[in-house]
Amino acid sequence: MLPALRLVLICLVLVGQGAQAHGGVVEEEDLCVIKVNYLRGHFKIYQPLVDGHQEYCEDLPNATESVFVMEYLHAAFSEAAVDFRIIRDVTGKGRFARWEDVAAIEDLDKATVFYREATVEPDVFTVIHDFAEEGDYIGIVTANVDGDEKIYRAVFPFEVGFTGLGYWPFFVALLLIIQVQYLIMSGRLARWRQARKVRKANSGVVPLLLVLFFPTLWIQDAAGEHGNEWVSERGVYHVSFDSSLEPIEINKIHSWVLHITAEGEPVNGATISVVGGMPAHDHGLPTKPRITEELGQGDYRLGGMRFHMNGDWEVSIEIAANGKTDTVVIALRL
Amino acid sequence: MSPASGKRGVAVYWLTAAAIILAVTAWTYFRAVEPEPWTDAEVEVLRSLWIGSLPSLPADPTNAVADDPLAAELGYQLFFDPRLSGTGAISCSTCHQPERRFTDGLPKGQAIGTSKRNTRSIVGVAYSPWLYWDGRRDSLWSQALSPLEDPAEHGGNRKQYVEFIASEPSYSAMYESIFGEFPELADSDAINRVFANIGRVIAAYERLLLPGPSRFDVYVAAVIAGDSELQAATFSVDEAMGLQLFIDQAACTQCHNGPLFTNHEFHNTAVLSFPGEVPDKGRVAGVREVMADPFNCLGTYSDDASKNCAELEFVRTGPELIGAVRTPSLRNLESTGPFMHKGQLKSLAEVLRHYNEAPRAMIGHNEAKPLGLRSRELRQIEAFLNTLAAPLATPPKWLAPPAISVATSGHE
Repeated sequence: MLPALRLVLICLVLVGQGAQAHGGVVEEEDLCVIKVNYLRGHFKIYQPLVDGHQEYCEDLPNATESVFVMEYLHAAFSEAAVDFRIIRDVTGKGRFARWEDVAAIEDLDKATVFYREATVEPDVFTVIHDFAEEGDYIGIVTANVDGDEKIYRAVFPFEVGFTGLGYWPFFVALLLIIQVQYLIMSGRLARWRQARKVRKANSGVVPLLLVLFFPTLWIQDAAGEHGNEWVSERGVYHVSFDSSLEPIEINKIHSWVLHITAEGEPVNGATISVVGGMPAHDHGLPTKPRITEELGQGDYRLGGMRFHMNGDWEVSIEIAANGKTDTVVIALRL
Repeated sequence: MSPASGKRGVAVYWLTAAAIILAVTAWTYFRAVEPEPWTDAEVEVLRSLWIGSLPSLPADPTNAVADDPLAAELGYQLFFDPRLSGTGAISCSTCHQPERRFTDGLPKGQAIGTSKRNTRSIVGVAYSPWLYWDGRRDSLWSQALSPLEDPAEHGGNRKQYVEFIASEPSYSAMYESIFGEFPELADSDAINRVFANIGRVIAAYERLLLPGPSRFDVYVAAVIAGDSELQAATFSVDEAMGLQLFIDQAACTQCHNGPLFTNHEFHNTAVLSFPGEVPDKGRVAGVREVMADPFNCLGTYSDDASKNCAELEFVRTGPELIGAVRTPSLRNLESTGPFMHKGQLKSLAEVLRHYNEAPRAMIGHNEAKPLGLRSRELRQIEAFLNTLAAPLATPPKWLAPPAISVATSGHE
């Protein structure tokens, strides 16, 4: 009986996974992507009242408050006027409904359950709709870039209140328990442990791991110590700095004076841009520092420096002068 | 297999299962280790969090009367005066209630209508370069103006307020001793100037609201002095362990740093959206608003003639600020719940569970990483956070409504 059950389980899992991806929304490498012509966005739907932070790509398990989010993967999206419509699927095409089918609907307003008129949302697109009932729906996203004639559309049919995945984890867990119990009862587990005891006698894993680890530790140690001078990546510029705040503390806005030399001579008239951040925390500086004054003799005042956390920071300074561009990365531990 | 060995198999199976469940539960709930003595580096972190490290109030060059006692007195009276509203029923203290550390115990402020977000405590707020959860104001006085005209909050307008100050003899007398003769209200610019001054006196009052030393500060003083007896008498084992987790493993001090336990910066920590609303865009929208505010540091109503507005001038924006809100102080958490920008989380325990899981953000990117702490450890952090409760350093006179305002409202 058990092998038969297993076969059924495998088949069901395969079928369950095959049904994704249709219309203008597709799953790409673990990311749900909406394509409105060439404009692409990371598309996700939440049902926060029932499912918290759980993300859905299109089909929704419950008829409840649903938050649709589109994070722009294309810059032009943030300037586009985007409207969003949800209609009941009156096309009879279900999963295969396309724009032609929607366009053929006589009374679109009658089928519409949600509509938000064209709006420019510069950072991220969000709308909320509370579904009154389960059923088949079609979402239509329309984008108009730069107010020109062209209108781009994405159409995605989806189901609300689908049962496809709802009880799956529960079902799988139940089958697993049955399987484990079978293994224990049939004595296979005991036999497997017997065999493992024999294998364990000749293992050399721990010394191997130590050997692998050692060089890494050594490298980390060697990358310390710096004088108060940094050399740019390709060796063109030497940079040192004085801070108006000494020692540098967190949460205080201050300025630096950068001293830039090339081959021992001060560099004047350089174009300098500065970015920074904490690589370990994927975030930048809390401010947007820039050069406010060229002081002469290779000195530049860099205004608007502020750090807001203790830890490892990197300040990356791109210097362009006399046709040569190079970047200095200053690492700081606060 | 024989029936007898089958039965034994079942017993072994259930016993093993029970043992595993018991072991896991024990591991989550108990931690036998005593707190380690503080290392030098940890002592430095503790010192940085200590109230003794709190610098004196930063000057506010955009507000010439920021530290004028008479301005603070007028601001104090206005703060509690419900006549500063469209309905005559709402004062600043409707939401910023002194007995609740200047919050209101609600998910979102309730005045004429419902505010957009949770009422923040204003204790120690004068240290922050940005105001509001999304930093849409850059000074205490420009912030104070905004709720006065918000239809959901005080619901009045500047002309009404300016005329009210002019018509109330005690207020206009105080106004004139602070700012000089009351101007002719000939045009909108004159009205704006008096309106800005209303914000300035309220700000002068708010600058007096400062946190006092807590049990945590007594403990840190004991650590700095190397007095282990006083340490043990001040903190329980759980509280000390909680503090250690707070600064080390849980890395809370990445954002909750300095003596006010905040870096005054903006972070997305993936708090769930408020029911019935799309997720809050936070700082990205706040930046646009503060840049456009006519009462900002660079605007014509600022008292800083040199326009020395570094924070505004070097302000940063970008996708990493989508859904980011300003780190709140952790001092005086008592009676300030529910927590987060829309009061989504009811208790500190819920807040800690949220950070322990660090889910993916609905919009933008969650900066926090899952902590993987056990229940017992979360409760220890909570125990530590409760040691930050303390009476304010502000004299009690400023923490109750002025007698005069009670008398006036009694007349009406």
